Amino acid sequence: MNWLRRAQPWLGTLVEVGVPEGACADAAFAALRRVQACMSRFDPHSDVGRFAALPVGGCMEVAQDTAQVLHAARALQQASGGLFDITQGRAPQGWHCEGRLLTKRDAAAALDLGGIAKGYAVDCAVQALQAQGCTAGWVNAGGDLRAFGSVQVPILLRDEEAGELRPFAQLEDGAFATSRFGAATRSRIPGVQAHASVAAPQCLWADALTKVVAASGDTRHPLLAGYDARAWLH
Amino acid sequence: MRVTPYAVPCAAALAALAPAGALAVDYMTAEQAQKRMFPEATAFELRDLPLDAALAQQLAAAGVKPQAQRLPVRLARQGGAALGYVVVDEVIGKFERITYAVGVNADGSVRQVEVLSYRESHGHEIRLPAWRKQFVGKTAASPLQVGDDIANISGATLSCTHVTDGVRRVVVWLDLLRRAGKLA
Repeated sequence: MNWLRRAQPWLGTLVEVGVPEGACADAAFAALRRVQACMSRFDPHSDVGRFAALPVGGCMEVAQDTAQVLHAARALQQASGGLFDITQGRAPQGWHCEGRLLTKRDAAAALDLGGIAKGYAVDCAVQALQAQGCTAGWVNAGGDLRAFGSVQVPILLRDEEAGELRPFAQLEDGAFATSRFGAATRSRIPGVQAHASVAAPQCLWADALTKVVAASGDTRHPLLAGYDARAWLH
Repeated sequence: MRVTPYAVPCAAALAALAPAGALAVDYMTAEQAQKRMFPEATAFELRDLPLDAALAQQLAAAGVKPQAQRLPVRLARQGGAALGYVVVDEVIGKFERITYAVGVNADGSVRQVEVLSYRESHGHEIRLPAWRKQFVGKTAASPLQVGDDIANISGATLSCTHVTDGVRRVVVWLDLLRRAGKLA
């Protein structure tokens, strides 16, 4: 099969979309735009931006997309004993989301969905492509990627120190995400220096579970099985 | 889901692989990008606009550092009317060199950004002309040194700050040119 590949800057990274030649990738980019508009922490009008400006005790309605990510984040926070935390330790219990209503319970609560929203956005982009009849392809948001249909996507791992690329695996009909943790990186877990990769059917979980694997140092963390996920530290 | 890790290579094979390769992807040509951004355009007029002293001063005042002495602008026209502009630019990041096109509406707002090509290699190689030369003449059919031609990179998230800054630079520059009547 011949592929049409396009790339645009979204979600603070470059996103590549691959679809069979003759198919259209626009729907995927539209989905990414939608997710970015809800969850960017750099946009004061996004749900995350509005939550930052919300007074303690205040309540606001969020987009369906944001609510879905917040519910997933809370579920993973509870299941991982707090290893996964979208407030990054500032106020783990400082927010509460019921349906689409988000409440601020602690002045220190600021949300950073950087560890989960990219994966969610990739899932949305894949769904958008499938909804318009696209049978195979992939979406790669700067390293959080998902392939669907009959395509085997070879994955190269990038070494963030040397910039080296190394063939790692082939991915078919699933998602793969890598996060890097260290003193000088944005993803920070005290004392943890690692690249963590997770493969899972959905990219939201692959993305989010890299944080659990890095924080626990456990590539056989009991949570992984529940999401049909596999992990590597490298 | 099926994820098949490649077998861990033996020492000899590992040596043969090292240093791991570079990745190059050509997404589209500048002509394809301008057509995609302004499908209603009947003509594109290329205008190479030099950076004069006054313009340089205005750019500096806007906090923009020009990377070249001229800005080649593609004017999208429909009959006599200007629909907007397309500028092709290149930025260099930690590991990557990205050529992209930014489409700007006649009112100065960004219409679309498309990556035209992506080159990634070792960080220390990226600034060397020799590294650039290895890609000259490569086509979309044979761009890759490792893996397959649809290989995807995973790693810590690649920042697109360079592209975002580049887009801003182009938008400010175009705005000044437009106000000076040079894009009519």
